[in-house]
Amino acid sequence: MIDVVGFLVSWLTLLGIYSILALTLNFESGVSGVTNFGKVLFYGVGAYTAAALTVYLVLILNGFDVGRTPPYSVEGIVALGQLAGQNPALNLALFALSLVLAFLAAGLLGYLLSYPILRVGPAFVGFTLLSSGELMRIFLQHFEPVGASKGLMSIPGPFAWVPEPRVRELAFLGVVLALLALTYVVMDRLVNSPLGRTLRAVREDEVAALCLGKHVPRLKATVLFIGSGFTGVAGALLAYYLTAVNPGMFVPAVTFNVWAMIILGGMGNLRGSLVGAVLLTLFDRLLTFLTPQLGITVISPDYVRWFSVGLLIVALLLLRPQGLLPEEPVRTPALEELEVALRGGGSG
Amino acid sequence: MLPGYPYSIVNFLHYFFFYLLFSLPLTLSYRNTKVINFAHSNFITYGMYTAVFLHGLLGNTSLPAAAAAAFLVGGSMALLNNIAVFRPLERRGASPSLVMIASMGLWIMYNYLLYMLADVAHFFSRKNFVSYSKIAYSDVPELSIAGFTLSQSFVASMLAALGLVVALYLFLEKTRLGRAMRAVSDNPVLAEVSGIPRDTIVNLTWLIAGGVAAVGGAVWTCFSGTITPQSGDAMILQVFTVSFIGGLVSLLRTGLGALAISFIENVGIAALNTYLGVPTSFRPFLTFATLLTILIASPPLGAAGGLPYRFRRRG
Repeated sequence: MIDVVGFLVSWLTLLGIYSILALTLNFESGVSGVTNFGKVLFYGVGAYTAAALTVYLVLILNGFDVGRTPPYSVEGIVALGQLAGQNPALNLALFALSLVLAFLAAGLLGYLLSYPILRVGPAFVGFTLLSSGELMRIFLQHFEPVGASKGLMSIPGPFAWVPEPRVRELAFLGVVLALLALTYVVMDRLVNSPLGRTLRAVREDEVAALCLGKHVPRLKATVLFIGSGFTGVAGALLAYYLTAVNPGMFVPAVTFNVWAMIILGGMGNLRGSLVGAVLLTLFDRLLTFLTPQLGITVISPDYVRWFSVGLLIVALLLLRPQGLLPEEPVRTPALEELEVALRGGGSG
Repeated sequence: MLPGYPYSIVNFLHYFFFYLLFSLPLTLSYRNTKVINFAHSNFITYGMYTAVFLHGLLGNTSLPAAAAAAFLVGGSMALLNNIAVFRPLERRGASPSLVMIASMGLWIMYNYLLYMLADVAHFFSRKNFVSYSKIAYSDVPELSIAGFTLSQSFVASMLAALGLVVALYLFLEKTRLGRAMRAVSDNPVLAEVSGIPRDTIVNLTWLIAGGVAAVGGAVWTCFSGTITPQSGDAMILQVFTVSFIGGLVSLLRTGLGALAISFIENVGIAALNTYLGVPTSFRPFLTFATLLTILIASPPLGAAGGLPYRFRRRG
């Protein structure tokens, strides 16, 4: 018997997290033209900020000496498992604090990284962000306080005190979907605003936008701050959902997966990103359900899955570059007024 | 006395040769085709695996044979990329960043295709191709100069790099085709107007770029301890940084970049290790710091679609 509810809950939670990534990447790359190949950097920073903050504070506030029982040691992990469900208020407070700090940490990093890449073209931007992500992974692999290559485990989730697992999962799913809704509203407001129109101008022709008096560096820094901030929140959600983080989770392939989503859905169309995220995460989940049924194969299904992500990107760019949902005009009150006026003019 | 002497010096030269082999084709391909090719590391990795498969499946121990096969594999991959993906995209008037994203898609495809090939080869030969050890070739000599023994890989990479530099110089400066290639890189439209077949030149560029990078990969197999399908990707930071120092246009400055990055990564880290105790695994951070410094202090202005001047706050 297949566990339908379990499947739906796990799929929707991952979908929520990936949708936040796809929305912000579309805002950065589809709308504003910052070719962000380092999505995983901000995702990872958010996840590690939340994870490290939570495990350290839980241990310290419960009177442990983290110098002697660090959270990545066996005793630390056992202690975290025992403490997880004891204090609901602490869990929720830490969750809220982590989300805020993950936003700030990832956002600030994005803001700072926008400086070196201001004057160079998309190739340099993409490459610099890509290698920043890889370097973060190498750094985390060697950084002992966050568990080096083993990472952090047994992160107490916000609802760890709920005894019933299904209720706990549903509550977390609710939080994820609420944050997704918040991200969507913020991104939608940003894109359908005069700022959104300016960003599209920068994407199409930086020099022309500059000549019209737009402060391109500040715009790019703003875009990277906001986009990366929300990415950090998605990372924090991932850390709480999986209750573990390790450097192996933040490989460049994650970035490309999100890129495939926004290209599939349509660059510059926010609803398209949601569609892309739905299709790709569904494909992913179905594969994880199917893989054990196949038994041992000559070629690992994982490789086929990643190969098809690359093929999807190339094929879409060649055959349907606008994606499933093409980009729409910016919806501002001024445009609506104009449309009303035009319609009125036509009839009368 | 330099820290880490003599190994840091030997490694410095060694990596210098490899970076020449890997980065010169990248610069060449960008300046002639205006495509920033993220799949460049695939040429290197496929070059390595051509040599690995030849050795593991057919028992080949000749480096020149492996290099020739690698040239064909890398060159035809690059040619195929251009004909099937880059050229149709450009015909349609796609923006440079879209072409770049397509090259990234190709990168993922090639990467996992190689894993699949390694799986299939493993199925037939029961050998582990996902982590392959160093290959000892029978036809590359070890040299002994002034008491130093230069390893096989040092000799091979030195010959390959010198051969590449000389051949590129002669080709670009002395032949008609090479001058046509330089004309295309300077001004594609003007070149086309004066009767240079731009498509042919671009195809030729891809063939050379892919082939040379793959030859570099084949030579790498007698140097690196283990070869994995990620070996080429592991070097992408260094290879691109070297080309970025050349602004993606100047071959001479790319060569200087190879010298600089190789120096920083070998002698620099040895010095930091000796005097400050920095672990040698911090190597890529030095390269990354160099990359950021270059981007901030002396960005290649206007390169690859950037703003053609600097922002300055007015006082």
